[in-house]
Amino acid sequence: MTKSRKPGISRRSALALMGGTAVTFATPWVAGAQAKTIKVGMPTILSGRVAQLGTSSRNGIMIEVDKVNAAGGLAGRPIEMVIRDSKGQPQEAARVARELVNTDGCEILIDAEASSGAFAVHEVARDLGVFCVHTNSETSSLTADPKQHIPNAFRTARQGVHDSIVGGGYAAAIAKAKGLKKWATCSPDYAYGRDTTGEFVYYLKQFAPDVEIISEAWPKLFQPDYTEVVTKILQAKPQALYSALWGGDLTSYIDQANIYALFTQMEVFAVNMADYTALTVVKNLPKGIHSGNRYIKTYPATAENAAWGDAYKAKFNEYPTNWSWENATAMMLIAAASKKANSADGKKLAEAMKGLTIKSPFGADGTVTMRAEDHTLIGYAIGWGTTIPVEPYVPEVKSGDWKQILALEAEWKKTKGYT
Amino acid sequence: MTELQAERGGDLSAPPIDVKSKRLRYIDLLIAIAAFAVLASLPFLFSSKALLDFVIRCAAFGLFATSLNLLVGYTGMISFGHGMFFGLGAYGFGLIMQRTGVPVPVAFLGTLVLTAVVATAIGAICVRLKEIYFAFVTLAFQMLIHSIILSWVSLTGGDQGLRGGIPRPKFLGIDPTNHIHLYIMSCALLVIGLLLMRQIAQSPFGYTLRMIRDNASRASFIGIDVWRAKLTIFVLSSLFASTGGIIMCLFVSGAYPEFAYWTISGEGIFINLLGGVTTFLGPMVGTVLLLTLNDTVTRLTEHYGIVLGIVILFFAIGLRKGLMDFAVEWYEARRGDKERAP
Amino acid sequence: MDIDALTGCFASAACLVTQTTSGLIIGMLLFLVAVGLTLIFGVLKVVNFSHGAFYMFGAYFAMTAYQLSGSFALAMLCGAAGTAILGLIFERVFMSRVYGNDVLMQLLVCYAFVLIFDDVVKIVWGPEFRSMGMPTAFQIPPLFIAGGVVPPYYLLLIGVALAVAAVLGFSLARTRVGKVIRAAAHNPGMVSALGINTGLIYGGVFALGGMLAGLAGALAAPVRSLTPGMGFSVLIESFIVTVIGGMGSILGALIGALLIGLIRSFGSLGFPLFTEGLMYLFMVIVLVARPTGLFGKEVA
Repeated sequence: MTKSRKPGISRRSALALMGGTAVTFATPWVAGAQAKTIKVGMPTILSGRVAQLGTSSRNGIMIEVDKVNAAGGLAGRPIEMVIRDSKGQPQEAARVARELVNTDGCEILIDAEASSGAFAVHEVARDLGVFCVHTNSETSSLTADPKQHIPNAFRTARQGVHDSIVGGGYAAAIAKAKGLKKWATCSPDYAYGRDTTGEFVYYLKQFAPDVEIISEAWPKLFQPDYTEVVTKILQAKPQALYSALWGGDLTSYIDQANIYALFTQMEVFAVNMADYTALTVVKNLPKGIHSGNRYIKTYPATAENAAWGDAYKAKFNEYPTNWSWENATAMMLIAAASKKANSADGKKLAEAMKGLTIKSPFGADGTVTMRAEDHTLIGYAIGWGTTIPVEPYVPEVKSGDWKQILALEAEWKKTKGYT
Repeated sequence: MTELQAERGGDLSAPPIDVKSKRLRYIDLLIAIAAFAVLASLPFLFSSKALLDFVIRCAAFGLFATSLNLLVGYTGMISFGHGMFFGLGAYGFGLIMQRTGVPVPVAFLGTLVLTAVVATAIGAICVRLKEIYFAFVTLAFQMLIHSIILSWVSLTGGDQGLRGGIPRPKFLGIDPTNHIHLYIMSCALLVIGLLLMRQIAQSPFGYTLRMIRDNASRASFIGIDVWRAKLTIFVLSSLFASTGGIIMCLFVSGAYPEFAYWTISGEGIFINLLGGVTTFLGPMVGTVLLLTLNDTVTRLTEHYGIVLGIVILFFAIGLRKGLMDFAVEWYEARRGDKERAP
Repeated sequence: MDIDALTGCFASAACLVTQTTSGLIIGMLLFLVAVGLTLIFGVLKVVNFSHGAFYMFGAYFAMTAYQLSGSFALAMLCGAAGTAILGLIFERVFMSRVYGNDVLMQLLVCYAFVLIFDDVVKIVWGPEFRSMGMPTAFQIPPLFIAGGVVPPYYLLLIGVALAVAAVLGFSLARTRVGKVIRAAAHNPGMVSALGINTGLIYGGVFALGGMLAGLAGALAAPVRSLTPGMGFSVLIESFIVTVIGGMGSILGALIGALLIGLIRSFGSLGFPLFTEGLMYLFMVIVLVARPTGLFGKEVA
């Protein structure tokens, strides 16, 4: 019951080529919502440099969709996923999202866009009133800013400020123990990089007031060559470095900083290191990089989490990414909300989803909660540890304390004028 | 660009003003009114919201692409940076609406004034350069503006764009948040924009531009201020591109840095080549073609690149011209055959 | 803005040396990619928009060869040779059909192949990013040369870049083949009339340009992650370099690359959030002052 496409099927492109174009010329404008199945639309990025975001989001959600369908669907209606590529362009994300709802008759949107695309889809959800779950955007303001708030949109992704609070606390403890006073930062120059870095530094200084930032480097997103930012940091001679680089940018940076022997000269804190995509790809991973957990099947160290990771690996022949669990969580929550409301209607789902707590392999205490007040996920496993170049990659993770996270987040919201 | 010029028929350089051209102008007006009537009746004939979305996007990209053709096709100035005005329109309008809360028409005019000022400043520098160097320098300006949008976070929201929605209050009985109202408004802007551009293209000034394209030194010999004419059309076309950006801003209720990225300019050039640059409506045809292609192919496959790439190759190597150029030549060849036949 | 950091750096010899060295390193890496672009433009008058795709293929070829054989030298060879063949086929089968048409049609063909190549890489190697890994021979601590830090691997890159510049410069200026190529660039009709196969020259130059891009990609593979679409930002940068230096001038590409390298290394100190903007600003200034670039010849 799925329309999702596995990578590597070129038959479809050939088909499209050979006149499929002519046949389907008119179909986009012919509405065709079926009453029995429930269509779930998912605009995401399946091409270009972050195509992995789309493929692993798709894999993550499909695992759960299969389970829901095997159990009878959403209130008796089997789910049909309609997954489309936005190519990472916000106007395409908006267009695809509108088309999914207006033409394909999707009743639920899973917004698996990154960055500005998520805000574009958010506006579509605002316009059309469709039930929408953001799964990949970690930008705090998407849910924290009351100006963005709409009753029908939720987020099952991490939230930047949560990571920063835990990271700040963890880093401050090490800073105090090892006497790391001079810090540098090196993060990608876009909203996510700037916000998480700013928040991390804020909490680091809260917990360890004598820390000082002596140098900041802001490479562009997808920059190929990091030479100038590597030497700039070496030049500043900090005792520790924080970085919010991720994915291929992080591995490029590590490879290039490695040949300057940067990792032998300072403690490195890279929030996005502990994700299998990065851990398994880097060939010469330096020992002892501190990282937040993204997705790792050994943390939380529960049988459920390990089983989920292994099932994913068995099915797709690769480890899950951070995006995988975030999308899986969206489907788990939707299924639970549908059970609670005994309906697949978007309005009822939204009502049921508010404040909903479900059992989850990714929960810090075995559960995660969709917070009612700002529609964002809390209670997910969050912790920091040091990485090693072989499995289990992050042998020991220090868990964040959600009580402290929530208290500090409330304060942060006040300083931002959000509450 | 000599090949481009050679392809064009001699009939374009016919004497510009006579009774016939005045009559043609009325015909243009009639066609425009008829086109608007057809477009405006669509929502009452079909219930498909996606069709309306499609036409709104066609209006935005169509105005943009047609305005680019004023430069590329009519004046022979290949701009790789025309997308900056599309982005400027979207950001200008979005910012004015978000920051000041003035009525929509005021923001619209304000955006056009802003675009005109920026285009005059940039154009004054760029139009001195010729051929590929003009293309390079416009591209450089485009990237500069894109960098500024990304860096000036406090004003533009950086890479996340203008968030929180663009306020779209009612004006003169029109409610831009209403899908059908927005649709009718976009159609009206499209038709008026096309009509105005058609007037420019058919005016004596339009023929001056063609002369500059075909032989700039001859034009300057007979006393035409080439620099001024080029600058004028650069600014005029930027206004229509900006209008396209405004429509896009209203449609997505936001403005994003991708609107000012060079890929938008690339898409504009691509649309022009798909549709053809020797006819006025070529870019419009190209817009419909590209958007249809985009929408259908992304539905069918995630290997959009391969499919689109092959379609492009078909146009570039197979047809060697845009669809409208091809159609016009085919039609003329057929008519020629008939006349020769007994 | 952080003007203090910039002026502070100018006051300190160590900083000045380090940043200048890193500017040189960035520049030489850029030159390796840009030189193929400028060469193809100089002879064929084609702005090879698909140059970044050749860079990408070079990197992927090298990675695969390295994983299969474990030999760094073989990996470099595969990267360069593979893209040379690709370039030759691309030119003979497709580009040669649009020489008579205008610049836009050529751009369009290149653009089509950028789209196709990116998807091909995604299908063959997968959408996730990959990494080749640094060969063990180069996993040694960086050298200190005159107070500046230089990793040994970058020393190799600089060596290759300088060798490429020297060999190209010499053979174009002094050898018979070079003279024929220059003549073909100047007046293809005449060269053809003299009985020389211009198609062969064009194909050869395109293969050479593709090879240089592929070599650059292969050399970059150990230090940069590989993804579909990785050629894109590289294309933009090498494009800036060639336009500043003057399209078609090899010396121009070298100087342009070094200037951009220095702007990047010092700009990241003084204007960490506007380094890229600085490059475009510089490009605008150069184009306005000298439309043909610093070393470009005036088009008649």
